[in-house]
Amino acid sequence: MNNTIYEKPIIKKLQTGFMNKFGTGVFKRIRKDIDGVAIERLVEQFGSPLFVFSEKKLRGNYRKLYNAFSNRYPNVLFGWSYKTNYLDTICSTLHQEGAIAEVVSEYEYKKAKRLGIDGKNIIYNGPFKTMESLKEAAEDGAMINIDHFEEIQDLENVAKELNKKIKVGIRVNMDTGIVPQWSRFGFNIESGQALDAVKRISYGGHLILNGLHCHIGTFILEPNAYSQEVKKMVEFAYKVEDEFGYKIEYLDIGGGFPSKNRLKGVYLPPEVVVPSIDEFAEAVCDTLLENLRPNDFPKLILETGRAIVDEAGYLITTVHAIKRLPDGTRSYIIDAGVNILFTSFWYKFNIEMDREVSGTAEPSVIYGPLCMNIDVIDESVNLPPLERGTRLIISPVGAYNVTQWMQFIMYRPSVCIISEKGEPLLIREKEDMEDITKREILPEEYELKK
Amino acid sequence: MKKLCIGVTGINAVDNPGPGIGVIRSLKECKDLNVEIVGLAYDAMEPGIYMDWLVDKSFILPYPSTSEEEYISRLLYIKDRVCIDMIIPTLDAEMPFFIKSKEKLESYGIKTFTPSQEQFNLRSKAKLEETSLKIGIKTPKSKTVTSYDELTKAIEELGLPVMVKGAFYKAYRAYTHQEAVGFFRKIVAEWGYPVIVQQVVSGEEMNVVGVGDGKGGDLGLVAIKKLWITSLGKIWTGVTVKNGKLFELAKTFIEKTLWKGAFELECIVDHNDIYLIEVNPRFPAWIYFATGVGINLPSRMVKKAFGMDFDNSTEYEAGKLYVRYTYDIVTDLSLFQKITMKGESL
Amino acid sequence: MERLSQLAINDEGFIFDPYTGNSYTTNKTGILILSELKNGKSGEEIAKITSEKFNIEHSVALKDVTDFIEQLRSLSLL
Ligand SMILES: Cc1ncc(COP(=O)(O)O)c(C=O)c1O
Repeated sequence: MNNTIYEKPIIKKLQTGFMNKFGTGVFKRIRKDIDGVAIERLVEQFGSPLFVFSEKKLRGNYRKLYNAFSNRYPNVLFGWSYKTNYLDTICSTLHQEGAIAEVVSEYEYKKAKRLGIDGKNIIYNGPFKTMESLKEAAEDGAMINIDHFEEIQDLENVAKELNKKIKVGIRVNMDTGIVPQWSRFGFNIESGQALDAVKRISYGGHLILNGLHCHIGTFILEPNAYSQEVKKMVEFAYKVEDEFGYKIEYLDIGGGFPSKNRLKGVYLPPEVVVPSIDEFAEAVCDTLLENLRPNDFPKLILETGRAIVDEAGYLITTVHAIKRLPDGTRSYIIDAGVNILFTSFWYKFNIEMDREVSGTAEPSVIYGPLCMNIDVIDESVNLPPLERGTRLIISPVGAYNVTQWMQFIMYRPSVCIISEKGEPLLIREKEDMEDITKREILPEEYELKK
Repeated sequence: MKKLCIGVTGINAVDNPGPGIGVIRSLKECKDLNVEIVGLAYDAMEPGIYMDWLVDKSFILPYPSTSEEEYISRLLYIKDRVCIDMIIPTLDAEMPFFIKSKEKLESYGIKTFTPSQEQFNLRSKAKLEETSLKIGIKTPKSKTVTSYDELTKAIEELGLPVMVKGAFYKAYRAYTHQEAVGFFRKIVAEWGYPVIVQQVVSGEEMNVVGVGDGKGGDLGLVAIKKLWITSLGKIWTGVTVKNGKLFELAKTFIEKTLWKGAFELECIVDHNDIYLIEVNPRFPAWIYFATGVGINLPSRMVKKAFGMDFDNSTEYEAGKLYVRYTYDIVTDLSLFQKITMKGESL
Repeated sequence: MERLSQLAINDEGFIFDPYTGNSYTTNKTGILILSELKNGKSGEEIAKITSEKFNIEHSVALKDVTDFIEQLRSLSLL
């Protein structure tokens, strides 16, 4: 026998509109390692499913972004958006690279400090800042960006209590041509609300306005939206400086750059639709330089999250079962579900196999392990027939998953990082029963009697 | 003369035809071009594959929605097999890929003649009004909406009836608010946000096809009026027109955008007013009409791309009639079998 | 089995069903299983044949043959 390579038997009906031998996915996408460490070794060491971060990718992405902006503008600072991924190791790595912290809650604020970040190097954003945390931040000298009128009042009270003037920024929102417009955070520029906020701050006399903050949305595919944002912010900054005598020391333009992930409902692949970081940097910096007055270079702050960390994260999963659906579609049950892959609601991930598999690819469904109908990782991905035990590597998953994941019917998995030296290091242990039940209280009368 | 091997997409000559066959026929009928045609298809049922008097060889491509890497490597495989010198993409969904990968393809010896990314963006439905304003062309007012609220506001501002359009495909005319809501829902379900609401302007609908040279000039222009359209909105009968204002608009468009490559302008002419409704960044499916009246744009584009001289006469007769018709082929399953099993006709 | 014997199957795995006009594609293993089914062999017997021919475990072969028969059934070819 010469043709002894075994392929699982398969038969496909030819249907108009689907008679494309290649369709989506001519190649079998194989990934045997992450940064040189074999998938199998990672699973042996830490189990499956397993989140894996690449230090090399993380630092690489940060540097690419930082350089794109700092090569075009003299005064650039990045604030690491904690909510995107606040694992200590990830934050530390980015702080080592020079990013300060950007937090949006008391919890995140404390987490940054716990990691050793000075309050001065924390940007405190968000619509819900507790009184205590405002006080702490004001004492620490953090950069606080005010979201609403109540917060102006709260901070004035803090200022009175501390008996000092507090430097603050305000968050603004505006039309940048992006739909939907994120108009619920901060003060609107076009309606005059932002100017009212400045008037209010000036009238109170306890706060000193020294910065503007804005975040126009996320996964923005249109560099021009940032030109609009920057233009309006600069205009507003000068209006504030000229009319109220404040000096705007920083313009924080938020985050929102896309990663090379594939949004559901976007037909073309990310390599084609996602503009390069240079295009964004050019839009921002050119607009700044065109609109700023001579010799005025306020600090440009960026709070890029997704575009830095998303592509640095992978999820290794394992095929647990194979099932043919009544309509003939092949489906797989894997050991990771939508509860730990929050971004699967928006993304169609890149799915790679850990080994060569012969056989014709067919559109298959990938289900998670939750006993829930919504637990679908991919509704249709072209895969050759897989064996139980095959590892599927899902990416990019570095942004928002390990912060928004949900504990549901099972433990959340381990997270590791592959250091630049190529060493896999555990950075968050898999949960156990104790983690989940620790806070439960069973009043005596509810205890089951032996 | 050296034989040029040209790959052409959009050979789906069906009831909503792609432009490929019209392009190919134009190339084959050009006396001083010696071309071999490679049909690039997305389905084994695309009729062009079986039209052996026009299409010499055919290959199946992965959908443009696959990764760039896969799409390119398939094109390189085809280049290896049949030595393609140039590709003329004709479908909307492919254009972003060919625009983005222009240099890469060029470095492998595959020429294209397409607009730049910037030019391509200028004409998107959401941007058209802004662009037109900048270059001094009239266009119906339009609003980008993402909610019922915004839809209602847009309708109040524009007044009924309105056109409700998806960002890439689909356009419906709504006479009532209720109808508009229905179309909005339908578009969102199929194509997602945003939805564009456009003012309806009345007048004669006319179209211009042309090729920009990328330096502000054109390789020829032909204007037509559609006389009969099918239920899918596709031309079945048409007539050539000569309208100075229409040419003026087309020339302004090319001059101001430095457009490179094929385009089709959809316009509404109302006495002295001309509105630009849409810009398609490729040849239209009726491109053979222009060839038939003596302005062979596909062949001029190929010659321009290879630095050859070409006849750039602009004269054609108004009042030439275009009639589309259907035709039948009977063949056996063997070619179909090759295409489905191997993805190519060789 | 009568349905199966009507199918025209070529060496490359292109299948034409003159009865319905449908076409199908299959792979080498599929061709083998189809021809054994036509010979009237049972799933068990075919699994034995494929496991020997391709040198794979009988349990894997049996699972795959069963899956293939399920596919044929969902296509109304069995
Ligand atoms: C205030 C603020 N800054 C930064 C970010 C990070 O955004 P991205 O991950 O899109 O860069 C967010 C995310 O929602 C945010 O709300």
